[in-house]
Amino acid sequence: MERSAQENQIVDLLAKVSKKDRASIQPEQDLVADLGLDSPKTLQLLAELEDTFQIEIDEGDEGRISKVRDLFAYIAAKKK
Amino acid sequence: MPTHPYPFDPRTATLLDALKGAAQLSASRGITIYDRRGQNADRRSYVELLALAGRGARRFAAAGVKPRDRILVCLNTSWELLEIWFGAVLCGAHPVLVAPPAALGGAASHAKKIEGLVELLNPHQFICDEAMRNELIEFGAPAAHAVCMTTQEFLAAPSSDTFSPPLVKTSDLAFLQLTSGSTGRQRAVQIRHSNVIHNALAMAEFSRVVPFSDADAVVSWLPLNHDMGLVGCLLYSVVQGINLFLMRPETFLARPKLWLQTISANRATMSAAPNFAYQLCIERVDPKDLAGLDLSSWRVALTGAEMVHPETCRLLCEKWAEQKFHPTQLLPSYGMAEATLAVTADRKCVGVRTSPMPAGADAGLGMNEVVCLGRPVLDTQVKISSMSEPGQFLAEGALGEVYVKGPGVFAGYYNDDAATAETLYKGEWLRTGDVGFLKEGELFITGRTKDVIIVHGHNLMPHELEWLAEDVSGGGGSERCGAFSVSHGGDGEQAVLVIEAGTSDAAQLEVYDKEIRTRVARALGLPLADLMFVKRGQIPKTTSGKVQRRELRQRYLDGTLDRLK
Repeated sequence: MERSAQENQIVDLLAKVSKKDRASIQPEQDLVADLGLDSPKTLQLLAELEDTFQIEIDEGDEGRISKVRDLFAYIAAKKK
Repeated sequence: MPTHPYPFDPRTATLLDALKGAAQLSASRGITIYDRRGQNADRRSYVELLALAGRGARRFAAAGVKPRDRILVCLNTSWELLEIWFGAVLCGAHPVLVAPPAALGGAASHAKKIEGLVELLNPHQFICDEAMRNELIEFGAPAAHAVCMTTQEFLAAPSSDTFSPPLVKTSDLAFLQLTSGSTGRQRAVQIRHSNVIHNALAMAEFSRVVPFSDADAVVSWLPLNHDMGLVGCLLYSVVQGINLFLMRPETFLARPKLWLQTISANRATMSAAPNFAYQLCIERVDPKDLAGLDLSSWRVALTGAEMVHPETCRLLCEKWAEQKFHPTQLLPSYGMAEATLAVTADRKCVGVRTSPMPAGADAGLGMNEVVCLGRPVLDTQVKISSMSEPGQFLAEGALGEVYVKGPGVFAGYYNDDAATAETLYKGEWLRTGDVGFLKEGELFITGRTKDVIIVHGHNLMPHELEWLAEDVSGGGGSERCGAFSVSHGGDGEQAVLVIEAGTSDAAQLEVYDKEIRTRVARALGLPLADLMFVKRGQIPKTTSGKVQRRELRQRYLDGTLDRLK
């Protein structure tokens, strides 16, 4: 499936924070189990997302984001 | 005439005396709390803090809270948290702080953890925010939900007009500190008022603080549910009556530069962190963000709560040289919740000193030199006990288990006499579970007897990982598993899980692999450094069938395990 420009930007940030190959990042992957995001990396990612998309991620929301696709959906909803 | 600077007698003081002392002698000083983005400083004086604590206590009194009741609290660093925590203490009740969920997708397992804590502690109330209360319903935590009160409800609750603080003695318990027990379940460390006052005095001695003055100030982003954040930063600052600047842990983790900027802007003299935090700064703070910062005021850069890595210390001093951070400012220390906090600290101020890892020491953490953690703090003794004969103290230089005796040693675990007896040798020597040696009276830690895995300053027991893995495979899958930690350089430790599988089918193992990693991630917020499947019989066990984790780790490091996947 074709990714939106926004999703591509998210994948760029995921690759940067997780230090994984960009091409290996897939929507069904789990952010912690597959991409190795521990809590410092998770918070780094959230900060990068806030800065890149000029959004504010509400407290507690991260508890419901598990997979790469959840993140796509969350940011898409925030940008609306 | 007292020979100390405190307006109370340190031998009989309680936290209420300390709060009153700060309000009296440091009325112009106080605590500043930043928002989640490290901005919008909300500053209140110690006079206001004392008033807030009284307000919290009157609300608890109206709600029927009695001395020795437990109040479980899960809130971010905020004024609400301070009102609730100190209010409970003023009532003679025992506040217990628990960490908010840190993991992505971790809401469900956090609710389960809270439910377990409510069963363990039987608290009068569990105070959290609205979102967390909804999660208690959604993820099935009925006992926690039954005693749950949101911060908003607490702040709107009636207040007693007739409340006066109950008579509390310095030997009474002040609060409980949560820690991971050897069985993987949470344990609550009981801390007396005397323990906290002693710890603050001990830290004052080695940090050369000037109490009730503007000469010193503390910056902290450490979680208040962690002993280093609560005792080492918050309560220390209150007892000393000095300015404190509190940031939220996630503010630092998201943007580490804010820690350094806050220290520089406020001319802070003291700030503590585990090794990983310094490493994080090395890796993630852009040199351009350091420009213009002056870290010369930071006299006491404490490093502790996990293994101190010499390499991290060296890199840091190089990287911050232009910011006038001098190597003598780094102060390695050793402590733990069961000792209230501080046990030893390096106060020679000549920079980080190391010693070669002695022969026979546990090399599993991958270090070939160990950092000097200094001498025992005020009125505290440290001895090295034989591993085979507990309580048989060894001469200088010999390796063994570290024992601690002194006014900081805790009052046992809440409702767990067996664990207390196991931890307190002859009722007075704290068995730390850490292995090390003494050289000229100074402590060096080389490893540990207990199987704990320390990630980012938080202790995790291997059982917590093993249970999650054992649940996955059902009948025909894994038989046994063992978890242990391996070193990841300055990043600290990472967890490895080895599992005996009843199948060698690659597709099936792939399914297990995915499922186990996801479970561990959800529950603990922790990626595994490695997940290895081996044939049955490969994991070493005792004759009674207990997994020998240390031997397993050795075989893993030696590469003598046959990997199925």
